[in-house]
Amino acid sequence: MASSDWLDIRGWMDSIVGWSMDSIHDILPSTDIGLGPLGTLNIQAEFASVQSPLETLIFTTIMCTVVFGILMLTLMVVPYIERKFIARLMDRLGATTSLRSLWIGEGRVTAGQWWNQLPFGMGAPIGWTIGILNSTFGNESKHVAVDRVHNRGYHGIWFLFPGFFQALADFLKFATKEHIVPAKADRLVFEVAPIIIISTTIMVYAFIPFGPHIWAADPELSLIFMMAIFGVAPLGVFFAGWSSNNKYTLIGGMRSAAQLTAYEIPLLITVLAIAVVSGSFNILEIIDFQIETSNTWNLFILPLGATLFLITMIAEVERIPFDMPEAEAELVEGWWTEYGGIRWGLMFAVEMMRAYAACILFALFFLGGWQVPFEDSLVALPYIGGGLETVFTATPGIFILLAKAYIMFAFFVWVRASLHRVRTDQILEFGWRYLLPLSFVNLAIAIWLRLEVWNSTAAGGWPIWTAPALFGAFVLLFIILAIDEDKEALELDRRMYQTQTLDKASPGTHRE
Amino acid sequence: MAEMWISMGPQHPMTHGLWTLKIKVDGETVIDTEPDLGYIHRGVEKICEARNFTQITTYCDRLCYASANTWSHAYIYATEDLLDVEVPERAEYIRLVAVEIQRIASHLMWLGAYGPDIGNLSIMVWCLREREMMMDLLQELGGSRLHYNFPRVGGVKRDLPHGFAHRARAKLTLFQDRIQEYEALFDESTIFLVRSQGVGYAKPEEMINAGVSGPNVRAAGVDYDIRWAHPYSVYSELDWAPAVERSSIKGADCYDRYRIRIEEMKESASMVLQALDKMPGGAETYHEPGDPKILAKAPSRAAEGTTGYHHFEDSRGESMFYIAGGGEGRGKMPYRVSIRSPMFITIPFAAKCMVGYKVADIPAIMGSFDPCIGETDR
Repeated sequence: MASSDWLDIRGWMDSIVGWSMDSIHDILPSTDIGLGPLGTLNIQAEFASVQSPLETLIFTTIMCTVVFGILMLTLMVVPYIERKFIARLMDRLGATTSLRSLWIGEGRVTAGQWWNQLPFGMGAPIGWTIGILNSTFGNESKHVAVDRVHNRGYHGIWFLFPGFFQALADFLKFATKEHIVPAKADRLVFEVAPIIIISTTIMVYAFIPFGPHIWAADPELSLIFMMAIFGVAPLGVFFAGWSSNNKYTLIGGMRSAAQLTAYEIPLLITVLAIAVVSGSFNILEIIDFQIETSNTWNLFILPLGATLFLITMIAEVERIPFDMPEAEAELVEGWWTEYGGIRWGLMFAVEMMRAYAACILFALFFLGGWQVPFEDSLVALPYIGGGLETVFTATPGIFILLAKAYIMFAFFVWVRASLHRVRTDQILEFGWRYLLPLSFVNLAIAIWLRLEVWNSTAAGGWPIWTAPALFGAFVLLFIILAIDEDKEALELDRRMYQTQTLDKASPGTHRE
Repeated sequence: MAEMWISMGPQHPMTHGLWTLKIKVDGETVIDTEPDLGYIHRGVEKICEARNFTQITTYCDRLCYASANTWSHAYIYATEDLLDVEVPERAEYIRLVAVEIQRIASHLMWLGAYGPDIGNLSIMVWCLREREMMMDLLQELGGSRLHYNFPRVGGVKRDLPHGFAHRARAKLTLFQDRIQEYEALFDESTIFLVRSQGVGYAKPEEMINAGVSGPNVRAAGVDYDIRWAHPYSVYSELDWAPAVERSSIKGADCYDRYRIRIEEMKESASMVLQALDKMPGGAETYHEPGDPKILAKAPSRAAEGTTGYHHFEDSRGESMFYIAGGGEGRGKMPYRVSIRSPMFITIPFAAKCMVGYKVADIPAIMGSFDPCIGETDR
């Protein structure tokens, strides 16, 4: 089975729990004990009757703990990526201008000549390549005083390390802060809101598989269940905004409610399209469909769906450019202005957790979950194919899945570094006027693909032209849209986004 | 939603300083505003009456933390008018270099602060990085990081240090390239365009009536730059033209005010490069402090009844100094110093520009006017 690896945590835990339960069963006395008028009691037989549900309970508890532990440990990488990657983007020649700026410095000075730290001089070719690129394309600067990038190579390989445990230090700081409830706040709702937000977000991870054998729960309709729970948190956000008795939080909560409603619907319709194409509402089966049944990632079948999913997910997790609810320039900190201490810390962790969930879900739905990219083709290569197969088999799926998720999160950070914040009315207009119709188009494409194109008898399922044609058409469309802008029309119509209004918004004043 | 008043400030990310903007909102629409200034009034004008003419320079440096050199130079020109001093030409060129580098640094500070106002943090780091180059140059001239105390009555404190011209050329040439990066991040981003275009219209005639000046009116198509209209230093010797934005019938919006400052930075960079080339005696020569080539002899006393006046193109508009000299037995100190701050007039006007826009537009509009509270409250 392709979607399987040796890291069979569920199997191991199942065996351990079963073995210990059997042992307990065996050491219990098997003789009938007389209890006088109450009859007799056979402890072993009584235990045997509850052994199976008890096993399931303990096993599920252990798996929940394992998944939660993996979530918390791997989550620490997410703020680390955010911190490091955005620092790189801001340091260098620019996020929107080019990605080469990530490694090319100025005047032959690059940030941290990390390749020199690799063993056996393996990094020398990297250094040559970068040197040539740098001297060819890098900014010309003769003078050391104006070099933008300082050589941080003196840190050695350890330049990667600082900052990783910053999240722990931050947590300790938040945990020791005083808990302040504002005067005249609605205290009950104020306390309940973080609980709603935090608990539902953690619950999402019950249905997210970290690997083929690392997951906590797998109901038949896990996709629907998970999206439903994902949609509960906005309610808590609105509670938090309303109960704080603060005008900024009130506006933030209102914005959050409007924005999340506008983006939840396209998101759900996009997810529905994934379910239609994959033929299942079960997350594990969607992954199995990509890895085994069709042997094609959904990204190449539904490129439009992937784009929509990405945009709506960025809006759902309230990151720039869609971070209206917490717009710090005008709303101080939006709906969480009044929270402090560990509640604020946990809610910030939840913010990261939701973004992390969005990244993992993208990897699961569109990037083939824990499959190595082009695994079959790589394995079929001459000479090195056998070695690669050994490497792929030895790598647990969780590493591949998390690598994809972290790359997706780096993409989120890239977006954050490049774009500005959109205004409330523009967010809603974009959601209702563009994303919603596009998501219906995407659903129609998915239905057409499933009904007309999908061929379950053929090997692989999709005809050979499907993925190249769909993906190629999408890329072509994207390029055309990106470069085909009418400069003159833009110049003439350059003040098209006029928003000034003196009409009052409330219906009462219109009636007067 | 019901109407409510929201008090933004004095501690608020939008304010860029210490003041309060009270807004009345109807849902997300702003229907009334009321600025409240005066939190950091220090009484600079009164302090100046008890200091001699050289000591006052340091107080004028502290009028605006982002643009110290322009303010001290504005004071110095007024004092030279009062004391009737002829400044050596080389000193004028050095002053021009200092002021224009300061203008670039100030506009970079503005652009860096404007990015977070509309949600982009990258531009802030980039701008502060470039501002660091400018501050290093100014530090070479004045000796300190923010408040330079550079000009003297009759000239400048020090000549250009050894190698300054070389470093300044390298940095400014590089800076001219890097402005393109800002344009790539701002002008090519549709999100920035929809955030800034059509937002915060200010009509030129209304701005002139209110007394708004500087880049904010030039963004609305008013071709008035004091350096150009009434050239005071050696601005008439250089090849340059004031940046004026072609604006629509509704006036200037945030995008125009952004463009005008980008264009001004380009102009200033080219002016500094020209001044370094044209400097009498050459930019590489060095005179000791006090040399008559860079510092003319100036009287330390002003006769009773004399007045000095100068209007100066500051980074934020037209700053004016009026100094009355003399008084009984205290000719070393001015009798009265009056300072006209451009932002004191602009901030209430900007607050009126917000009416009718969304709450989310407030930082975009306020930031685009480039407020500085130090000079506003004086």
